[in-house]
Amino acid sequence: MGAIEKQRNILDFTLSSLGRRKGKNIALVVVYTFVIFLLASVLFFTHSLKKEASLILQDAPEMTVQRLLAGRQDLIPTHYIDTIRQIRGVQSVAPRLWGYYYDAMSGANYTLMVNAELNDRAGEIIIGNGVSMRSMSGIGNQALRKNDIIPFKTYDGSVLTLKVRGLLPFASELVTADLILVSEADFRTLFSIANDQATDLVLNVRNAKELSTIAAKITQIHPDTRPILREEILRTYDAVFDWRGGVIFMVLSGVFFAFIILAWDKATGLSAEEKREIGILKAIGWETSDILLMKFWEGSAVSIAAFFMGIFLAYLHIFLASSILFEPVLKGWSVLYPSFRLTPYISVYQIATLFFLTVIPYTVVTIVPSWRSATIDPDSVMRM
Amino acid sequence: MIRLQNVRKVFNADKSNEFVAIEGVNLSIDSHGATVLKGPSGSGKTTLLSILGCMARPTSGRIMLKEREITSLPERFLTEVRRETFGIVFQQFNLIKGITALENVMLPAYPNGEKHASLKKRAMDLLDLLNLTGKAFSKVEWLSGGEAQRIAIARALINNPAIIIADEPTAHLDTRLSREFMEIMRQLKKEGKTLLIASHDPIVYDSTVIDRIVEMRDGKIESSGDVP
Amino acid sequence: MLQRKSDLFFSALVAGALLICLMFMDAAISQRLDREFVQERREVVRVLTLTDLCLFTEARYTRHPSMADLHTPFQDHPLSFDHFPSGAIMAVPPHLKRKAGTLQGWISDPRERQ
Repeated sequence: MGAIEKQRNILDFTLSSLGRRKGKNIALVVVYTFVIFLLASVLFFTHSLKKEASLILQDAPEMTVQRLLAGRQDLIPTHYIDTIRQIRGVQSVAPRLWGYYYDAMSGANYTLMVNAELNDRAGEIIIGNGVSMRSMSGIGNQALRKNDIIPFKTYDGSVLTLKVRGLLPFASELVTADLILVSEADFRTLFSIANDQATDLVLNVRNAKELSTIAAKITQIHPDTRPILREEILRTYDAVFDWRGGVIFMVLSGVFFAFIILAWDKATGLSAEEKREIGILKAIGWETSDILLMKFWEGSAVSIAAFFMGIFLAYLHIFLASSILFEPVLKGWSVLYPSFRLTPYISVYQIATLFFLTVIPYTVVTIVPSWRSATIDPDSVMRM
Repeated sequence: MIRLQNVRKVFNADKSNEFVAIEGVNLSIDSHGATVLKGPSGSGKTTLLSILGCMARPTSGRIMLKEREITSLPERFLTEVRRETFGIVFQQFNLIKGITALENVMLPAYPNGEKHASLKKRAMDLLDLLNLTGKAFSKVEWLSGGEAQRIAIARALINNPAIIIADEPTAHLDTRLSREFMEIMRQLKKEGKTLLIASHDPIVYDSTVIDRIVEMRDGKIESSGDVP
Repeated sequence: MLQRKSDLFFSALVAGALLICLMFMDAAISQRLDREFVQERREVVRVLTLTDLCLFTEARYTRHPSMADLHTPFQDHPLSFDHFPSGAIMAVPPHLKRKAGTLQGWISDPRERQ
């Protein structure tokens, strides 16, 4: 009982003591909260995005086969399909036709993709939500609707007008914002792609365990191809915002270290007044360990307060305010940006990581330097 | 109660600015008396007082407290002994600014782990005794010199020590307040406390409260005798 | 009577912990509510045979990172800068860093090939 009461007594004094330099300590907590807020925001954002990617890309093609020509990805001849289909274990092979279309009017890059459903409806397109918001027709800022006509410039400069047949589901914006689905005939007309060529091939296999063997066989038969497995796509998104390597985190760790140095400096550079107070406490019967306990509570109180506030604000920021602060960074030079609300995927592990990366170093950094002042001789105040 | 045997204290030993503060001091302090250490400044009163109060260790010599050798105790135990046995009133009062008078009084008892409610009650009782009830929740920097002095006394008393040590307690007080201070000392002595005061103020050493005067000069005890 | 400061501190601590719990509860509820949308996105990905998230539309290799080459950003010239801001915050897909021409990553143990 005594031990707990002692802790509470010392905490009482620590809090009174912190309250004395209210402005300074509030400023400290605010800055600290902001640092944790930024770190937590990055962590929440990247983690949720990764989780989202791993969930929705689970149904991506099991294997994609590209052709490389002189170091670049090139169109793949459709006769490759026949040889690949012969490989044992391959269930189906299908060509994909897709590419990018730059719209000079809006300055946006769209992804054009052929969809079999439109093959008997040449002249019609289905557009993603982002495309519809960004007017291509130059009629002002009105969103595109069904039956609107959009002019496309073909490879030879002539104009091909296509009619909007419908919009892709709003909920799928994270994967379809810039998509324009067209018919195969229109796609080939637009870009002048011969009938025996495709952008790449997608295959399904009977047994997922054989994927790597099949991939090896494909490169054996067609050495100019490169198979990409679904597992690799998923891994790509695991690494996309690898927050350890990401620039954002680098910048933020700079901020955090600057903050830690500030805390260290504050703890080492005790003012004469603070030193005198420690001397008084020692003279009236506090031990070195009691002084350190006080410093521990001081560091903990500040960092735990900042920790809770920072985490909570980060949660609000990422999941309720759609990461509004990150938007300029994420948008970069993109003209077209999907508006999506992330599903909050948070874990205890993340919170613990943040705790150990912020609260613990701060507390340590404030206690260690106070060791020296805590060992002041109790008679020092008598001699002053 | 306290016995010093051949105590010597050197500051900055083995350096060019080595300074012998006290040398060859033999002194015995009895319980329930009031002793004044008298002497000009620099005579070693304060050093002797901090050694008597277990705040500093002598460079050589032995200190016995209630027949117990305390010179070689580790810091932890020495702090505990100091906390339980001594209450100290400093020359500059040395109150902690920015917090209330009540908290200042309670501070020395915090490491004991006493229940907050009972500690607070004891502190309030002490403030009551010293006519400071109305100032309990005032910040110490708002107090007058006399009030600050009495808060310092209350703080010295909170752990119910057997010995009260005061270092030049009247240095910052006017005559009236100095006399008031001695009256409080008289009261404490009556309650059975042992008083140890370092002072060169006649109000203190000529007071009828004092039983014994120890005169110091140049770090040595010049004379020591009971007040007739 | 003044409340003890440590009591205030511990209540703030409990409040903070509750806030974190609330956060987890909100996350769990949102996940449940969003399940059907996730399902819808998965379906779209399957039907349209999509391979990438539409996060950065500024360049080919940022729009479809998993379909890009390691050298796509530099294909115009080996010394040209990776000048799209998104390229700076994204990591290179791991499979592109696999040694060219080798099958490592597909075949973990060469003995398994026999």
